[in-house]
Amino acid sequence: MTRLIVNGAEQVVAAPPEARLSTVLRDGLGLTGTKIGCDAGDCGACTVLVDGAQVCACLVPLGQAEGARVQTVEGLAADPMGAALQHAFQAHGAAQCGYCTPGMLMAAMEVLQASPRPAEAQVMAALGGVLCRCTGYRKIVTAVMEAHRFLDAPAAPLPEAGQAVGARMGRADGWPKLDGREAYGADAAPADALWLRPVRSPHAHARFTLGDTAPLLARHPGLERVLAAADVPGRNGYGIYPDIKDQAVFAEGLVRYRGDVVCALVGTREAVEAVRVEELPLDWEVLPPLAEPGAALAEGAPALHERWPDNVLTTGRVRRGDAAAALAASVHVAEGRWQTSFVEHAYVEPEAGWARRVGDRIEVFASTQAPYMDLEEVAGVLGLPHAAVRIVPTACGGGFGGKLDVAVQPMLAIAAWLLRRSVRATWSRSESMASSTKRHPARIEARAGCDAEGRLTALEFEGIYDTGAYASWGPTVAGRVPAHSTGPYRVPHVRSRARAVLTNNPPSGAFRGFGVPQAAIAQEALWDRLADAAGIDRLEFRLINALRAGDATATGQVIAASAGLPACLEALRPRWAALREEAAAENAAGGPLRHGVGIACMWYGIGNTGMSNPSTMRITLEPGGRLAFHNGAVDIGQGSTTVLLQIAADALGLPASAFALVLGDTDLTADAGKTSASRQTFVSGRAAMEAGLALRDAILLRANAGPEGRLALSDGMLTVDGRPLHLEAPLEGLGRFDPPTVPLDADGQGVPYATYGFAAQIAALAVDTELGTIRLKRIVAAHDVGRAINPLLVEGQIEGGIAQGIGLALMEEYLPGRTENLHDYLIPTVGDVPAIESILIEDPEPLGPYGAKGIGEPALVPTAPAIFSAIRDATGAEINRIPALPHRVLEAIRRKEGAG
Amino acid sequence: MNRFDYIRPGTVAEAVSAAAVPGSAYLAAGTNLLDLMKIGVARPERLVDLNYLPGLDAIEALPDGGVRIGARVRNADLAQDPGFRRRFPAVAEALLSGASGQLRNMATVGGNLLQRTRCPYFQDTASACNRRAPGSGCDARGGENRLHAVLGWSEACIATHPSDFCVPLVALGAVVEIAGPAGPREVPLADFHLLPGATPERESVLAPGELVTALRLPAEAAGFAAHARYVKLRERTSYAFAVVSAAAALRIEDGRIAAARLALGGVAAKPWRAEAAEAALVGAAPDAAAFQQAAEIALAEARPSGDNAFKIELARRIARRALRLAAAGTPERLPALPASPFAPLSGGLHG
Ligand SMILES: Cc1cc2nc3c(=O)[nH]c(=O)nc-3n(C[C@H](O)[C@H](O)[C@H](O)COP(=O)(O)OP(=O)(O)OC[C@H]3O[C@@H](n4cnc5c(N)ncnc54)[C@H](O)[C@@H]3O)c2cc1C
Ligand code: SF4
Ligand code: FES
Ligand code: FES
Repeated sequence: MTRLIVNGAEQVVAAPPEARLSTVLRDGLGLTGTKIGCDAGDCGACTVLVDGAQVCACLVPLGQAEGARVQTVEGLAADPMGAALQHAFQAHGAAQCGYCTPGMLMAAMEVLQASPRPAEAQVMAALGGVLCRCTGYRKIVTAVMEAHRFLDAPAAPLPEAGQAVGARMGRADGWPKLDGREAYGADAAPADALWLRPVRSPHAHARFTLGDTAPLLARHPGLERVLAAADVPGRNGYGIYPDIKDQAVFAEGLVRYRGDVVCALVGTREAVEAVRVEELPLDWEVLPPLAEPGAALAEGAPALHERWPDNVLTTGRVRRGDAAAALAASVHVAEGRWQTSFVEHAYVEPEAGWARRVGDRIEVFASTQAPYMDLEEVAGVLGLPHAAVRIVPTACGGGFGGKLDVAVQPMLAIAAWLLRRSVRATWSRSESMASSTKRHPARIEARAGCDAEGRLTALEFEGIYDTGAYASWGPTVAGRVPAHSTGPYRVPHVRSRARAVLTNNPPSGAFRGFGVPQAAIAQEALWDRLADAAGIDRLEFRLINALRAGDATATGQVIAASAGLPACLEALRPRWAALREEAAAENAAGGPLRHGVGIACMWYGIGNTGMSNPSTMRITLEPGGRLAFHNGAVDIGQGSTTVLLQIAADALGLPASAFALVLGDTDLTADAGKTSASRQTFVSGRAAMEAGLALRDAILLRANAGPEGRLALSDGMLTVDGRPLHLEAPLEGLGRFDPPTVPLDADGQGVPYATYGFAAQIAALAVDTELGTIRLKRIVAAHDVGRAINPLLVEGQIEGGIAQGIGLALMEEYLPGRTENLHDYLIPTVGDVPAIESILIEDPEPLGPYGAKGIGEPALVPTAPAIFSAIRDATGAEINRIPALPHRVLEAIRRKEGAG
Repeated sequence: MNRFDYIRPGTVAEAVSAAAVPGSAYLAAGTNLLDLMKIGVARPERLVDLNYLPGLDAIEALPDGGVRIGARVRNADLAQDPGFRRRFPAVAEALLSGASGQLRNMATVGGNLLQRTRCPYFQDTASACNRRAPGSGCDARGGENRLHAVLGWSEACIATHPSDFCVPLVALGAVVEIAGPAGPREVPLADFHLLPGATPERESVLAPGELVTALRLPAEAAGFAAHARYVKLRERTSYAFAVVSAAAALRIEDGRIAAARLALGGVAAKPWRAEAAEAALVGAAPDAAAFQQAAEIALAEARPSGDNAFKIELARRIARRALRLAAAGTPERLPALPASPFAPLSGGLHG
């Protein structure tokens, strides 16, 4: 028995002394506000205060907390400064997915208790041990510094009717993320649920046999079942594409990457955790792996899957004009090769969820980006009709593309179906990292030319993308990259090709940008060199070539409207000049520290490439006055719940506060498509607008009011122009939108996207030329978002995207088997993200809701190339191997010096 | 995790006798041990919890001017202790550059000394590792070994010791006080950790059951307070282990170096004191040439153990940087980012 004082109340806990405090709080005391991201001290999500000091609850043995005062997020509101901090987080948009938030809040409380008005450096030091993958930290730092201002201030009022679009409104789903109530995948399973633990291959490529598991079951009371391939009731395969279900739920005698699931243990938590892997009757025959695309493409290489004999999963192409001839005729030509690494999504919430069988239906509750795709996969592996499957997304602690593929869902569904019990699972951090999809490592060779005036003439682009062991989103990446290979510029002659190549690596899938960030690194490096060769300022060079409305792209699409890149570049021009002057002044003093300023641009097609991707939204008004917004778009932290509500509210003409939200559940909402490709604001937003307008029409018709009719809703009574409207039956507004596209032909010609986001970013930094380290000083980001429905959330997306871009550029390198934790795999901390200035350009998109496009992915794309541009500016060194770790920076500097 | 006994001794003598039973491990804060138990690398049968042992949690000024630090003192408490920080600024800087605020609030002095290597193969029970499973081989050879040792490694093991704290400590001549079944003894920190040789599983001189009770810094160590720095090269700004690091401490008299201390971190299975380089500095003017020469001497024996030749040059450069920063003088207040090579310099290194 251990006595603790938790949030002021004494608790006596019966748990072994070595039990982790985090487990005791969550499982013993039901305080699930304290999150687990790694269980190893690497992420800080579990931060609580013990006797006033911040600690990782996952590393505190209960025996050492005897008599201690423990403060968790659940107790925060009772403390005036705690409540103020929560208000500051809400007002500043400091929580996105909210998974790191309890840890951030508690870490911040340590410093706020000592200094209620902390300086920035104090805040950065206090938050240094909590990782956030969503926000880019800047809004968190501001919220902590400003917390004292919220001590007596009332909460900011919500925008009034008709004022929602464009308002810096706090998140509609914000508060549960701040007080610990939000239920993520691991937070809401029933107490009697069994646990499922997958057994994964430690080998990249091997054959195996699984012997009789009866002795194991007999040895471990509480172990109920060992599930393997033969137990799958339906199809033992899943995959993103309807015709490619190449990834087995349980491998069938052959594993293709370190992480493939061989079988799963189901039983009580203690029982499944007690089994040692060595105890399983597994016989392995290890096979040589195809470790990289070169080996997979080599003559005579064995095929990973029979279906793709040459290991090429897909090839995407764009051909326009005659690139070779145009290059030969160009005044200036630049070329190069680049290689990028696997990048891990590193959402702070590992995959988790639970499932139950309800009669002849199955219900799966899990952290996901794509409930309707999950529904299809679960139906497929169980051999059930779609109507027999219900997916209820839990809160999602970050996705970034990684939670578009199923993880826990099929296995849990199979176990719950067969055992007729609730079954839950939570991946450990290392399991999450080993098994989940990654950003494709790319090897790119590119060549481009321009004329004497700096006008681009031609581009040749060849990309080999390591797509890993299974298809996942590989075909999408191979399709999207060539269509974006010119960047947002006019290039008359293009020949570009991207191939997704199968290897025995973890499957590469969807990750913020679908391959485009890698391609942008190559393009933007070429533009810098062409600009230098032509003697033109690097910003001006981009402006000369920027796509404008009326221009044709390499796929032959004429951009009709909303092409705001020139406006972005013009907005950056004064900052460009000033930052360059500063750098020059600092460099004049000499020394090992060299300062540089870089620039890069990007465009990003919103929605699926040349494919239908509809969304449906529904708003209902019941006779009792309940106004409900049925929204099937999953908010993974990016803010769609809030943004779609703002749009629906203004379309209908009632304030956002009037709506009840019905979110995600596939039984209760229509298919909004997946949360990917930056599409929810544009596609689902337009559907939400249509739904609002449709309901408004229906109301006005019933009320016999004109189009300007003023609606109001209070105490369950709807009035139109002040007159009450009595309903006998519910009214409904349905909105559907599918952006118009034309599929690409064999030469990549067509209209792949209905609209594009545009951006340009500047990076200012210093390179320590002795040590190879880089210190970012500032990022200035100008983004054309069409219309900023919620500027606060748009800035949040920009800052978060930039932080991921920094990781991609400077530190993130996933090595299968070697970096499956968050201390060997480094992502940016609060100290790695410099000051960020966001400039929002609004060149309205006629198809978008109130002119809006998307922002989710675009923010990340230009950051890494802008950083490399700045390193080039500072030192002349060309970073070809990414990330730019210190030894690679030094090598690049040496190479450049060697070249004279 | 497996079931095991948990013992909470009330005295050092009880602790030592409890831990003398084979299969026992001391549990300090557990920030390293609990993790190793979870991933199956450490499988103790009994845990001897040090957390309630009296007398091991003090920072005591010794009559001769030295200081004794109890093994249970938390990393953060030591780094924040005003007297300690003033007299041993490089040690405080190293402590504050390690891990995160949360971990420093928990981790103890004894645990920091005895933390295990971060070699990823050591941590993966599916890999061959002589340190974890003697005789099984070393998957780091021929594997991902970019961050492995360049000094003092053997064919059997090329791992490094990850501690920051130990680097200035070894430079300043710290002594480890030990209690054990055979009575108390003390060992200079420089001799405390063992190089791998043919027995990488033996990481320190501690015999089974032996307990680190305290660390001592001699009085003369405080004589370097005006010129003492720790510099750490990491692959992100903070909350990361060192790629390479260096502690440098100088006593400058009449424009000449009267005494010098230099140690390197991240390069070997122990904190690496560079005594020959120290000797070469004595009598020299504190200038770039002297520092360059010292760095060359410090790394003279270095050789790559794999894909890490770059670390040798990087270690030279970090040693030089630490010496230059130390020569420029210990800053009034510790920089906002302790041990960062980017910390602004009073001496105007970055012009
Ligand atoms: C995410 C993360 C990042 C980190 N980053 C850094 C870093 O940048 N720099 C750095 O230096 N360190 C870093 N560390 C390591 C950290 O400093 C150690 O985990 C910590 O110092 C161990 O102290 P502890 O009290 O928790 O020891 P424990 O985990 O309790 O023990 C560690 C080992 O020491 C033994 N032991 C403990 N006390 C004694 C004693 N008195 N006598 C004999 N044996 C004893 C234990 O049996 C065990 O084998 C990091 C750790 C984590 C988890
Ligand atoms: S370097 Fe040492 S710790 Fe790492 S695998 Fe080899 S023997 Fe083990
Ligand atoms: S869960 Fe405790 S630090 Fe990550
Ligand atoms: S909001 Fe920080 S991890 Fe999502």
